Amino acid sequence: MKILGIDTTTDVLNLAMTINGVMSFDFMMKREKITHSAILIPTLKNMLNLTEVKINELEGIAISIGPGSFTGLRIGLATAKGLAFSLSIPIAGVNALESYALQWKELPGILCPIIRARKGEYYFTFYKKRKNNHNLIRIEDYQCMDWFGIKEKLLKFDDSVFIFGHGLTEIRENNEKEQYPNNINFIIREQNPPGAINIALIGEKKIFKKENDNIFDLSPFYIRKSGAEAKKEKKQNSIFNY
Amino acid sequence: MKMKTKAKLILAIETSCDETSVAIVKNGKQILSNIIASQIEVHKEYGGIVPEIASRQHMKYILVTCKEALEKAGVLLEDIDAIAVVNGPGLKGSLLVGLSFAKAIAYVLNKPLIGVNHIEGHIYANFLDNKKIETPFISLVVSGGHTSLILVEEIGQHIVLGNTRDDAAGEVFDKIAKYLDLGYPGGPIIEKIALNGKKDAIIFPRPLTKTSNLDFSFSGLKTAVIYFVREKKKTKEKLQIENICASFQQAVVDTLIHKTLSAANKYNIKNIVIGGGVAANESLRKAMLETGKLNNIMVYFPSKELCTDNAAMIGVVGYYKLSKGFSDSFDIDVFTG
Repeated sequence: MKILGIDTTTDVLNLAMTINGVMSFDFMMKREKITHSAILIPTLKNMLNLTEVKINELEGIAISIGPGSFTGLRIGLATAKGLAFSLSIPIAGVNALESYALQWKELPGILCPIIRARKGEYYFTFYKKRKNNHNLIRIEDYQCMDWFGIKEKLLKFDDSVFIFGHGLTEIRENNEKEQYPNNINFIIREQNPPGAINIALIGEKKIFKKENDNIFDLSPFYIRKSGAEAKKEKKQNSIFNY
Repeated sequence: MKMKTKAKLILAIETSCDETSVAIVKNGKQILSNIIASQIEVHKEYGGIVPEIASRQHMKYILVTCKEALEKAGVLLEDIDAIAVVNGPGLKGSLLVGLSFAKAIAYVLNKPLIGVNHIEGHIYANFLDNKKIETPFISLVVSGGHTSLILVEEIGQHIVLGNTRDDAAGEVFDKIAKYLDLGYPGGPIIEKIALNGKKDAIIFPRPLTKTSNLDFSFSGLKTAVIYFVREKKKTKEKLQIENICASFQQAVVDTLIHKTLSAANKYNIKNIVIGGGVAANESLRKAMLETGKLNNIMVYFPSKELCTDNAAMIGVVGYYKLSKGFSDSFDIDVFTG
């Protein structure tokens, strides 16, 4: 099966193709002033040319649905839907935090992937591994908090915790003097997106098992409401306050 | 023997503001389908367009709108000759949904991708109804986002003669309606209330009508209306909302007509083409047609449905660009202003 993985969750455009579960290409490019939309199709065109695969040979589109940059998610999903619709092939949405966790699934302990949100907050969750087969089990909801809130949760674990993802560099820079217990491990990598290759691999499994998504219903996984909606809700919920 | 040329089908996409629209247009004049998913109800609660909500709505509806447009037109994707899509001006997040979707389809189909200017779309909406309009003509594009006078020398050759220096005409309708607590969108609401008012009850300013340039400015008019209301409230006089609406609307109409006519006279042009959401305003339509008659100038409006944002008008521009051999590469980006 030829599956295209697309990840526009962060400021790195990441496109990958897997053929029967084996990586064919995995291309990354940091977006500067232009949008992901300006580089996505040109990049895809080049990568397919280089690998001598025609666009209509693709058998499925796997797309990172977030959480992440709202605009980035929509560029990725609108492109993915356009491709899957015009090629008449299945589409599979993949959670970006799950894709991150898959990058580090060999590590012995709890995994905590994070992705930078706006206003000093981060999307995150926790995974642990099933004892017998190393499959990941998510042990908390997908959430969004500032570093103070995440730290509080980290400190509750006695097991080893590995934290990684998008935005960690700035967290460490902003909190230089902070000390953490030995069981908390930071994995810091520059420009490390959730990984289109994992998106493609997870997507391939979903498509193979016929668990692909309905192309009309598939939506970005925003987690956060728009600012205007959040403000309105807050106002509605505080009518008894004075 | 006359060669019969094959009809050209354009798949057109418009997501620049708060309508998700996909259309199939034949030969730049015949609408096979023009599906519009309007977001007005969603934004109503906020008294105006919320950009992030608009983008989310576009993402939700873009594909189903496209599918409906194809089905209603009875056309298969393979039959399409080119994809036309608005890439600006408009809201960045909204534009990116339509543009990204359009690129993917054009790439798979191996058909030309044609970026279309939203304002140009409003001008050429007239070609859908009126079929034939002689160039050169003066075009007034007037909506919630734009107020521009454009000289169209021939199809595809445009000279911008003037723009608004601050608020767009439609924007002032929205803002006045919001200030008076009348609801959203302001244009149709004020128009309806104005029916029961006297248009000469209050003399509001007609901004920039005493200058020779062709720019507009509506924020001063907005301030004048707000001050007027504030003064009345201070003295606890009863507000005659109908008269305020009618007089305000007349000030906008007079200004638009004055400037458009000045442009036509200055360049000695005998055709005027109006487009954009405010072009659906009945008093503007009536007054403009009357002015045309008096001055021996032909005046064109699209049908009211085609005044507001829609993809069919983008398909017209797409058709003319395609017939001139124009297309864009996949690295085009959106522009906002």
